[in-house]
Amino acid sequence: MIRVGVDVGGTFTDLVLEQVEAGGKQRVFTHKVSSTIADQSIAVVQGVVELCAIAGVQPSQIDALFHGTTVATNIVIERNGADVGMITTRGFRDILHMGRHKRPHNFSLQFDVPWQSAPLIKRRNRIVVDERILPPDGRVETALALDQVEQAAELFAARGLDAVMIGFLYSFVNPDHEMKAAEIVRRVMPDAFVCTSSEVVNTIREYERFSTAAMNAYIGPKVARYLDNLKRRLAEAGVNAFVRIMQSNGGVTTVEQASRNPVGLLLSGPAGGVIGGRWTGEACDQREIITIDIGGTSADISVIRDGELTIKNPRDTEVAHMPVLVPMIDIDAIGAGGGSIAYVDSGGAFRVGPKSAGAEPGPACYGRGGTQPTVTDAQVVLGRLDAEHFLGGGLHIDPALSEQAIRTHLAEPLGLSVKDAALGVLRIINNNMALAIASNSVARGIDPRNYSLMAFGGAGPLHGVALGEMIAAKNVISPLHPGITAAMGLLVTEPRYEFTQSSLTILQSGSDADFVTVNAAFGRLQAEAAAQLAADGIAPEGQRFERIAECRYVGQGFELRVAVPDGPFTAATAQEMARRFFAVHRTEYGHAFEDQAVQMVTLRVIGSSRSDTLRLPVLEKGGRRNPSEAALYARPTTFDSGETIQTPRFDRLKLRAQDTVVGPAVIVQQNSTTIVPPGFVATVMKLGDLVIARASQEA
Amino acid sequence: MTKTIDPITLQVIGGALHAIAEQMGNVLYRMSYSSIIRESQDLGAGLFDLDYNTLCESDSTPMHIGSIPGYLRGIEKSIPKTDWHEGDVVIHNHPYFGASHSPDIGIVMPIFYHGELVGFSANTAHHLDIGAATPGLIIDVPDVFAEGMLLNGLKLVEAGKRNDTLWRYISGNTRVPGLVMRDLEAQIASAELGVKRYCDLMDTYGRDTVEQAASQLMDYSETMLRREIAKIPDGDYFAEGFMDDDGRTRGVRLPIKVTVRVRGDDVEVDLTGSSPQVPTAFNVPFEGSTKVACYFAFRALLLDTYTHQEYIPQNEGSFRPVKVTAPLGSIFNPIAPAACEARFNQIQRVVDLIIKALAPVLPDKCTAGNAACLSFASYSGLRETGDYWVLIEVNEAAMGARPRSDGPDTIEELMRNTRNNPLEDLGMHLPMICDRYEIRDDVFPGAGEYRGGMGVVKSQRFLTPGFMTHESDRNEDVPWGIFGGHEGATAIVRIENATTGEPARDVDAKFSGMRAELGDVVTYLSPCGGGYGHPLNRDPAKVLDDLLDGYITPDHARDVYGVVFQPVKNGYGWGLDRDATTALRARMRAA
Repeated sequence: MIRVGVDVGGTFTDLVLEQVEAGGKQRVFTHKVSSTIADQSIAVVQGVVELCAIAGVQPSQIDALFHGTTVATNIVIERNGADVGMITTRGFRDILHMGRHKRPHNFSLQFDVPWQSAPLIKRRNRIVVDERILPPDGRVETALALDQVEQAAELFAARGLDAVMIGFLYSFVNPDHEMKAAEIVRRVMPDAFVCTSSEVVNTIREYERFSTAAMNAYIGPKVARYLDNLKRRLAEAGVNAFVRIMQSNGGVTTVEQASRNPVGLLLSGPAGGVIGGRWTGEACDQREIITIDIGGTSADISVIRDGELTIKNPRDTEVAHMPVLVPMIDIDAIGAGGGSIAYVDSGGAFRVGPKSAGAEPGPACYGRGGTQPTVTDAQVVLGRLDAEHFLGGGLHIDPALSEQAIRTHLAEPLGLSVKDAALGVLRIINNNMALAIASNSVARGIDPRNYSLMAFGGAGPLHGVALGEMIAAKNVISPLHPGITAAMGLLVTEPRYEFTQSSLTILQSGSDADFVTVNAAFGRLQAEAAAQLAADGIAPEGQRFERIAECRYVGQGFELRVAVPDGPFTAATAQEMARRFFAVHRTEYGHAFEDQAVQMVTLRVIGSSRSDTLRLPVLEKGGRRNPSEAALYARPTTFDSGETIQTPRFDRLKLRAQDTVVGPAVIVQQNSTTIVPPGFVATVMKLGDLVIARASQEA
Repeated sequence: MTKTIDPITLQVIGGALHAIAEQMGNVLYRMSYSSIIRESQDLGAGLFDLDYNTLCESDSTPMHIGSIPGYLRGIEKSIPKTDWHEGDVVIHNHPYFGASHSPDIGIVMPIFYHGELVGFSANTAHHLDIGAATPGLIIDVPDVFAEGMLLNGLKLVEAGKRNDTLWRYISGNTRVPGLVMRDLEAQIASAELGVKRYCDLMDTYGRDTVEQAASQLMDYSETMLRREIAKIPDGDYFAEGFMDDDGRTRGVRLPIKVTVRVRGDDVEVDLTGSSPQVPTAFNVPFEGSTKVACYFAFRALLLDTYTHQEYIPQNEGSFRPVKVTAPLGSIFNPIAPAACEARFNQIQRVVDLIIKALAPVLPDKCTAGNAACLSFASYSGLRETGDYWVLIEVNEAAMGARPRSDGPDTIEELMRNTRNNPLEDLGMHLPMICDRYEIRDDVFPGAGEYRGGMGVVKSQRFLTPGFMTHESDRNEDVPWGIFGGHEGATAIVRIENATTGEPARDVDAKFSGMRAELGDVVTYLSPCGGGYGHPLNRDPAKVLDDLLDGYITPDHARDVYGVVFQPVKNGYGWGLDRDATTALRARMRAA
């Protein structure tokens, strides 16, 4: 069995290959190639072929290939998606233009409104037709004007549009008109990407539903084309593995399903990292984890509670300022990374980020024309990043350029020493990250003292301990391969399909008839999920289903997710649901009103299946303290206290299980450096992950 | 006081204060029940020091930001600082004791640190109904007592023990207790969160450091604003406009006069010459609303968060350089007991006129005339059970064009920034149905090199008899164009009946407690913004976009923009005729 994980990032495409031989012998290989921005599939296939050569296997021997891609996200960021047509209810042409009518800036007159200045569907291509469905029961007040739909489709065809979205008001209670219109459009435009709002996301609130479906149509044709290219190139390279694509919800899906519902791929890239974080946590016996994936320009934060991913409340999910109501792992991205630029603003304040030097020109020390000091330059000045280990020594860096940038732009204007300025850069960037972590944890009732902080991405382990201290985490984990955690995560994902239905049933006063409807809805959703899993070749015994109801107090506007107990939905189930809702409400907001009616708003069924997990080789037991076999050399290194200490370097590849490295120490490996400050001890876990804790807590 | 805090700790504490205010705002709108809070987010929340300086405020609705210190100063008149106890919760809404207006109820909790009062955690939120003369909103009422419950610095909770008598009094004096009481609970949860987080912050950094940092952050914000004011040439800048009427005395316009005096890095807004106070609720509380509008104007003009890269903390510092003058007895500084609930349209116009006054010296920071109004619609009725239903809806308008971009369409401009109610959510719960919600198509955009924003048209139909109050303005004073741009369009309010077929009639912008019949359709067409710069300088490609998107006609493009189109067969119908456009524009410029 050979499985490959490929994670495409902005700069690099990371790959992992796992081979399990008949006798259970298992080998793991990793590789990194430069991403090909114009068509990510080129680097994917190149990387796969090269990795096969490294592993000594043929591409045709690969059984399964798992892929995390930023293709969908990039289409939205770069706004180069399809020309989309929309057919909507007469009188409501501009729902997508008005949004929620709130402007994105309070204190601004010159602000941009992204959904107006760069709309997913231009007004000229939003065509209204006669039809009217009325709430609350979905009865038809005005029948759908089929001829108007046909004329609209013909006009779209004449305009050469390659995608059409149909969105009618109240289609979540009665999708009939949307379905009829879609049928006509598909007949007139057989090659177009066509979707209806209720089939993409069957939930109440017109703007959010239309926006989600518009996003789906906008990225649809290009994502489908990309996935076609990928399949073709893989086939040409002799890869005939089954291919699975990472989705925003943390599960994988088939190429066909991803092509039909591409809106589920918007967090395909960062999701792999969180999954990899969870899996590393398991290997370290930690089920409560805060992950932070620190790259060049941004850091992605997520929380794993009791071994479970945190799924974002669908009311809060947006991409590029537009709501996209699909299940997503709760990943908070902030503009803080190794390339973040530090500067003094016109009012004399010391700032770091969100502006980034990116990969080009990059930090000052790269010597590629960047003169402004970055976070990486601060690390270099403080002696924490050794030139010979930077990107495995593959990139030349010049510490003098770092020092010059910090002196000119920070130290002199602020009247600080270069060292203090560099320490300040790190303190501010770490503080920005710590605040973001806090708003994703403490602010939601999560006590970081019970959590491990896992810092990965190439720069993650440089910041790990400092961040862990700031948020008062239990300990800090530096995964075995910090730079390719996301690619490894792809090899431990499972298929995951979600189906939803609006409900509006009140829990405490639901009638038997209401519960019949709820049971029927759950039955239908589960059947849909089962059919999708079966289509992926998963036998019924391997299928698992999870039922969620998104609930609120009657009258509230925001729902919270509540797990639905197994078995038929009865009055007793409803009472239990209400109790669970109170508990969730209390966790989220600190209060619950136990005398108030609770309403289910959206019913959700998640179908999944346990897949193979990645097995890394277990390290030989060392049990040594600061093993001399792994020691490299020592250099002056400045820690957050301001103290500069002659600090030993250790080669991570030479560490064994249960070895301990006592700070001050720097542990180096290709592409990543882990800092162990004085007073801390790093313990090597069975697979090579490091758990770093205060020396007083050492087990 | 301790010595100056290093710049790094300052950023750290500044970030923490900002995060606390955001979390307070989030808890408030997510927990709340009424759509005006949970969907529209008509609220504000923050932390304040013992001198009532704003340490931080949530980034919610600008009208609320900067209003809370007024509440605190008002409360001190009934609760001196020595009378606060740990666990107190004070409720306050008196417009003559600092409140923004009576429906914006403030909830304040003292922050005690190691037994000592160190500050206040507070928030304000717009409540759906406080038992005024008409459901939801009021305009044509005799005095402030007709606005409903006046709560003047009352302890709703005293040292942790809830005052059930007061609680029942409030519950018994609103038409929608189920919503109002839960919204108050959400406000209390938000304030409690602020208390806890501020104490946590002091635990981490020490009280002295936090207070010193807060003080330096205020100085920083003040410095940033003063630096920008100083760049404006000293002088007196003037602009004027008028409001349609006071909601009772029809046909009598109310002048608004704004003088901006710039002296070095100080600025004064003088509203002398504006209308005397009026006999309806169409007056503006001075502390809680007039001043706040002037603070907003200078922040938005001079520290625009879109064009400024740095985050400038939202705190007292940005209020200090701005002095506000309005004669006692004027519409902007009424004498008690004048009613003053319906104040939003007037303050929008103050902001817009400040922008207009300064436009000649701030051409790259200003806008053309904005809609600068607020359509606040209160729909209500009785259910079969005898309970009231009340909906307050904010209708958006549009902005004037800007130096580098068109005015945004259908958006919340200036002092307001609420979110709309999802139509489907309302339709499922209320006996009303929306028949139309899109961009106005009965007028052309205010022409210019950059065009003005287009307003909204929204039609709501009553499915049962009910009541309606509409607080609005600008049916008469059109938003101006600037630097050669053309004017925008005024608002229209229209009523017809879909059941009886009774024809449409245009009505005044303001009406109070109107009885609505089954089938009544109330349509609001908001003002549209003015244009910026001469239309002949507009990029022809943008003119084509406006044509294809249905904002203008080929005739309008030719006559106003000097742009000529030719038929094309690409499914869109029209393409640019560049040569004809160049020739026509040359002729028009010469003329």
